Amino acid sequence: MSKILALISAQWRVAMSYRLQTLVSFGGLVFTVVPLFFIAQAVQPVMENAIRTEGGNAFGFLLVGTIALLLVTTALSVIPSALASGIGSGTLEALLSTPTPMPTLLVGISAFPLVMATLRAGVLLAGGWLLGVSIAPASLPLALVILAVIVLAHAAIGLISGAMVLAFRTAGPLSRLVLIASSLLGGVYFPTHVIPSWLRAVSEVLPLSYGLRALRRVLLQGASIHDVAPDFLILLGETALLLGLGVGSFSFAFRYARRQGTLAQY
Amino acid sequence: MTSRPGADRAQADGPLIRVAGLVKSFPLRRPWAATLRHPLQRSRIEVLRGVSLEVQRGEFFGLLGPNGAGKTTLFKILATLILPEAGTVEVAGIDALQRPDAVRELLTPVIADERSLNWRLTGIENLLLYAALYGVSTAERQTTVRRLLDTVGLTDAADRMVGTYSSGMKQRLLIARALLSRPSVLLLDEPTRSLDPVSARDFRRFLREEVAGRQGCTVMLATHDADEALELCDRLAVLHRGRLVAQGTARELAAVAGEHRYRIVVPEDKASTALALLSGQGHPGFAVAAADSADGWVSVEGDLPGGATASAELLRQLGTAELPVAEFARIPMPLADLIERLVQRGEQP
Repeated sequence: MSKILALISAQWRVAMSYRLQTLVSFGGLVFTVVPLFFIAQAVQPVMENAIRTEGGNAFGFLLVGTIALLLVTTALSVIPSALASGIGSGTLEALLSTPTPMPTLLVGISAFPLVMATLRAGVLLAGGWLLGVSIAPASLPLALVILAVIVLAHAAIGLISGAMVLAFRTAGPLSRLVLIASSLLGGVYFPTHVIPSWLRAVSEVLPLSYGLRALRRVLLQGASIHDVAPDFLILLGETALLLGLGVGSFSFAFRYARRQGTLAQY
Repeated sequence: MTSRPGADRAQADGPLIRVAGLVKSFPLRRPWAATLRHPLQRSRIEVLRGVSLEVQRGEFFGLLGPNGAGKTTLFKILATLILPEAGTVEVAGIDALQRPDAVRELLTPVIADERSLNWRLTGIENLLLYAALYGVSTAERQTTVRRLLDTVGLTDAADRMVGTYSSGMKQRLLIARALLSRPSVLLLDEPTRSLDPVSARDFRRFLREEVAGRQGCTVMLATHDADEALELCDRLAVLHRGRLVAQGTARELAAVAGEHRYRIVVPEDKASTALALLSGQGHPGFAVAAADSADGWVSVEGDLPGGATASAELLRQLGTAELPVAEFARIPMPLADLIERLVQRGEQP
């Protein structure tokens, strides 16, 4: 734990050395939440029926989708980006030369961006609350658990992309494809049941589809764990499968890179 | 720092590092056209070909060789960053291929690349991060880091961002970072390559006196600077195209290389007589060296195999021939020449 905290602390100090960038990353959220509010007002009459089972409020629907997408984007990219930048800068070789287990290193290098994304998500949610989104405070703990599982599922996909970075120096298209598919077909901007049937098969394999549906029902309708159990269980199953694939592919890629001598070669 | 993480597990006797029959090759990148014509064909380049060596506890061991000799690959295998295809690597009796984590507690590579430091952090912040990663306890971290900054002479710059450091300062910080774990073995890969001559000289003194002396580290130094190796190292190994062509002290390497170079100073008008005599005695390699002959004397230089016996015999022959000799001396061969000769020998089938 001490090693993870040291890595987070170092990244925090680096982030704070880029003061303007940090301020803009938070201040810029105003330009996300305010336009979202007005767009939601405009589409509310059209969307109302379609999103009845997920809160019925277009602003709440879009806000939760945007928050989840923000975290999913970070979870997908954090490991491959950190590895690629560590290889490019030479810091990865230095980190790997320390007696630090690989899982600790991976958690350490990905924790800070995820914490920052969570803080930004919190700011977005607070902004939404100020603009009238109704959130039941009692539902927040369960919502956080669902959000954490969504992040874990996508971090596992990021782990597979990280394996690609170690083995082939490129993350490949996987994370990008998942991000595009999730943002278009995962229910971020419209509910998945309005997706044409020929595309719905794609939507039904995406973890975000199940996660978001459960998250909205909990956060915007105050649903209990029993109410969202079907979606949540599928999300858990997919997460377990993706974690298995992620850990397996990363272990294989790490050994492959040690054999090929490319572990710290950019 | 009160404990030395890996020291408890280190074997007390025997060589600290034992490398045997190490083989490593890397895939060779082929042009696109060749890849498309023969997609399944694989080409590899052999980087290490059966390298074996031993480094004793407390030794300053130099690994010499031209670019591409395999020095960095050998270091990365020792640092557990690369897996060999064959051979064994032991550090303090621990199998580095089976237990890389345990070896990383004993052996620390000094990544000479300045970019491996975090330039947006201060010197002290860089060291505090790695102190945690090397397992220095929270209570000891500040003291350890401050002491090491003092050791490498960076106390005054401790709170400055590393991006503002000179190359020499960054090299010192890299050394301090490596010393955080109090390693039994320190691997240095061309540590002075980006330093100016004065900084390089100071840095070498620091390595000898502080790292090897006071810290008591066993040091392996990879360099292609022969003078640096001679100044620092107790023993040397010469690596060429993945093969270890020789190892030992500089004196032992000279013996392996065979011939010793001698200078004989004779009157200028007797130089041709001297050369004829030398040729007659089986030493045709002697020649007049480019020297100032304004005072009437000239140097004749060449290789004289056979050591002290042969040189005594030659001196006797010169005396018998009544050839005036102002000086008869063995010229210590510069290490660079010695290595070149050893490398040339290594190239011979």
